[in-house]
Formats: sequence, C-alpha cells, structure tokens
Amino acid sequence: MCEKCYSLLVPDSDRSQMILVTPVALPSPDEVIRKRLLIDGDGAGDDRRINLLVKSFIKWCSSGSQEEGYSQYQRMLSTLSQCEFSMGKTLLVYDMNLREMENYEKIYKEIECSIAGAHEKIAECKKQILQAKRIRKNRQEYDALAKVIQHHPDRHETLKELEALGKELEHLSHIKESVEDKLELRRKQFHVLLSTIHELQQTLENDEKLSEVEEAQETSLETDPKP
Amino acid sequence: MERAVPHAVPLGQMEVFQALQRLHMTVFSQSVSPCGKFLAAGNNYGQIVIFSLSAALSSEAKEESKKPVVTFQAHDGPVYSMVSTDRQLVSAGDGEVKAWLWAEILKKGSKELWRRQPPYRTSLEVPEINALLLVPKENSLILAGGDCQLHTMDLETGAFTRALRGHTDYIHCLALRERSPEVLSGGEDGAVRLWDLRTAKEVQTIEVYKHEECSRPHNGRWIGCLATDSDWMVCGGGPALTLWHLRSSTPTTIFPMRAPQKHVTFYQDLILSAGQGPCVNQWQLSGELKAQVPSSSPGLLSLSLNQQPAAPECKVLTAAGNSCRVDVFTNLGYRAFSLSF
Repeated sequence: MCEKCYSLLVPDSDRSQMILVTPVALPSPDEVIRKRLLIDGDGAGDDRRINLLVKSFIKWCSSGSQEEGYSQYQRMLSTLSQCEFSMGKTLLVYDMNLREMENYEKIYKEIECSIAGAHEKIAECKKQILQAKRIRKNRQEYDALAKVIQHHPDRHETLKELEALGKELEHLSHIKESVEDKLELRRKQFHVLLSTIHELQQTLENDEKLSEVEEAQETSLETDPKP
Repeated sequence: MERAVPHAVPLGQMEVFQALQRLHMTVFSQSVSPCGKFLAAGNNYGQIVIFSLSAALSSEAKEESKKPVVTFQAHDGPVYSMVSTDRQLVSAGDGEVKAWLWAEILKKGSKELWRRQPPYRTSLEVPEINALLLVPKENSLILAGGDCQLHTMDLETGAFTRALRGHTDYIHCLALRERSPEVLSGGEDGAVRLWDLRTAKEVQTIEVYKHEECSRPHNGRWIGCLATDSDWMVCGGGPALTLWHLRSSTPTTIFPMRAPQKHVTFYQDLILSAGQGPCVNQWQLSGELKAQVPSSSPGLLSLSLNQQPAAPECKVLTAAGNSCRVDVFTNLGYRAFSLSF
C-alpha cells in the first residue's frame, strides 16, 4: 500500500492481474481498513489457505469413512506443507530484505563519504587553480617586461661601443693637441721672424735718417763760412 | 527628461512615459553592499535602485526577483559614481556627494545620512563628480570630476583635507595603488597622474597619447578607464587599451580593441574590460583575447565584481551601461540573466 496516497495493488477477482486501487480522497485509517477488508475479504492466498485448512480439519474430524478421511488427511498435509513452504519463503524474503537494507545503508554511507571527499578535492583544486592563475599572471608580466627589454640593445655591446668611442675620442684629442702645438711653434717662429724683420727695418731707417742728418750738417757747414 | 511625474495623468500616458524613461535610461554606476547580497545601481535620472542578488541567484528566482527591491530618488542629476564602505553607500552626481546607510535603505528608507559639496574654486561652478575612490587606510574618500582637481574628504569628520591640482581637463577615473598609498587619476587631458597621498604631490605623469604605439588620434586622447595592480596599470579610452609598467613608465602590451573602453579591472590572471560595443572582453596579460561575452546593452559603462567574503554564493560579475538592464554573469563565460529597472 502506498503511504502517501493509500492506493493498493490488489489481485483482481480471478487472481490473474494486479489492479491499482486508489481512493480519491485521503480517508481515515478506519475507512482504509474497511475498504481493504471489502476488497480483500478472504485474504490473499495464504490467509485463505489457512482458513480452508481449518475448515477441512473440522470437516475431517467430523467425517465418517476411512478412505475419504485418508484422502482428506493427505490433502490437509499437502495444504499444510504448502503453508509451511510459503511461510519459509516469506521468512527468507524478510531476511533478504533486512540484508538488502543493511547493504543499502552501507552503500549510502560510502557514497556520503565519497561526496565529502569530492567536495574537499574540489576545494583543493580550486586553491590550486588560484595558485596556477597567479603563477601564470606572474609569468605573463615577466614576458611583457622581457619583450620591452629586448627592444633595447644588449648592455655589453653598448659598453663596448662606448669604450671604442672613448678611445677614438682620446686619439682624436691627442692629434688635436699635437696639431695645436705645431701651430703654436710655427706661430712663434713666424713672430720671431717678423720681429727680426721689423728691427732690421728700424735699423735701416735709423741708418738712413742718420745719413740724412749728416748730409744736412755738411751742407749747412758749407753755406755758413760764405758770409 | 523630466523626473517629476505629473499627478493627474491618464494611465496610458503614464505607461508611455515610463516606457520612454526605460528606453533612454543609462546606468552609470554600480556598487555592491558590504554583506554581498545586494547590488545598488545608479542611473541618469538620479535614481538609485537596489537589487537583491541573493534572491535573483537562488533556485526559486522568479521574474519579480530580477526587479529592484527598493527605488529612491537620490540626486537631481545623474548618479555618476558610487562606492560602498562597510556601513554606507556613497553616491556622487552633479557637484554633490551623499551617503546613505545600507541598513536603512534596505528597510525602504531613503533619507540621506549626509551630503557634502567639495570646495570649488568659484561658487558658480557645479562640476560633476565622475569618480569616487575609498582609501581604507586613511578612512577617506577621494572625489574627482569636472573641476580637474582631486579632493580628499575624511569620512569621519566630513572635512575636505586636500585638493590635488595638476590636471588640465576634467578627470574621468581614479584608481588606488595599495602598496605605496598612491592614487592614479586619468582624465580628458590624456595624462595619467600618480599622486602620493602623504605628500599631496604629483609623483609621476604618463602622457599616454604621446606614445606612438598606443595613441589613436582619431579617437582623441582622453583616458576613460584605469585599473592598477601595484606595479602594473592598464588604461584605455581614446588611446588603445594598454598595459603599463609603472616603474619604468613603458607600455608593455597593447590590447587590440578598436572600441574605446570605459571600464577596466584586474581579476585573477585576467583583465576584464568593457566599453563601446556590447561585449565584456577578457584579456590575458600577454595581449590575447581570451573571451568576448556579449551582454544585453549596446554599450557598457561599468563592471562590478562581487567579491565580498560574506556572500560567496553571490560571487558574480555585473555589467551595466546604455540600457535599463544590469547583466549578471555567474560564470565569466556567459550571461546568466539580466536584472532590470
């Protein structure tokens, strides 16, 4: 019987099929019992068999002839063994149900454990993902900077170029110095030459002047004694 | 678009009006609540709505769970930017910054906790505040916008402590560099400036449009979005979306995206960006496009990642832009559903 809707699966009148009988409204337990008794009046197979057994036992007790009694006795024994058989079957089914329940409980607990384990693993993995993302971000930042740095030329080369340029500069300045020295020397020599020429010129001029003065004195001496 | 609805209006016109409103809506900003279960979104009509992420993501979500739980009128003009502290929601629009308590908003209250206006140079100026940034170490808020300055406001006292000047045109976006407490700001003048908060001086300037690799003169030089990861910075907008190494101020990777990007953020080992065009783009730092996930808006203006530790089941990416819908991505690979105003 279904607990929620009180529907019942019962064999139909000739025990060939099972019919689902569902009450429309949820009745009280009394009504349920009444309906059940109505439908299932005699009881299903086993109940009926026990009733029949009791009736046939009473009939056998009050029966007369030997043979009939013996056949009835056999029939009763077979009915009894059928009842015992069905009882044994029901007990086994009951045992089986209990063990199934245990099994299911066990499986249920195992599944719960594995769910909890999976949750933990998920949390772990999420942490790992965050870590991996951080690492990836750092690597990408590094790459970005590296790209920029690559654009600039290598430091060694630049230093070498600087050194070479420095040496050239020194060399050139040496040359410049020597040229300047030469120029100075030439200038001085030229200066000396020029000043010597000037002196010579001066001396020549002086000599000319002296000679002119002497001539003038001579002519004045000649004109003076006349008067 | 008027935001006041006339009272005596026949029903048909009202519906038409609402439909028109939704058609022309732009969602500028989003912010996640400190508990992680709610998302606030601000639109161009000055409204702020709160969506319940936990209800929309739960297995029994119906159509109503994707609608706002609370709607209130926050500002007179558009709500350009919002941030959340651990108790308050701070929103900024045309010239003013207001704060609301998250606990009160959720109880359907819409009374603001405080409102402030940063000291502008002239009282006639009402510049919009485009970006808000929280500096948790100093418990202060940085505002930047149309007046080309960064204002620092102490959250406890409400006083404006510094005004950092240097930009020559209005500022679009801010980012915080956590290790050395520096703020990066990017604006219309095409420069990304780094400011040291302790000395209140400009430490570094990167003029993005001057670098040939990333500049795109036909788009302009404006910097629409900024994100930083201590040593690295990604910025985009008029110039191409580029990854910069801050120490050496060199552009290292250029992301081949033609459309100008309006929002960018670092997430794990990816860079997520969104802008003109309906997709959320996922890039790897090496410049490869890992994925392009379409969303329901024709253009996106803001992305928000809900990484609040208190609500790991609401860990989603939400994207909003030129429509009345906010898309929710539970897995970065596809759009799960949309919340709508």
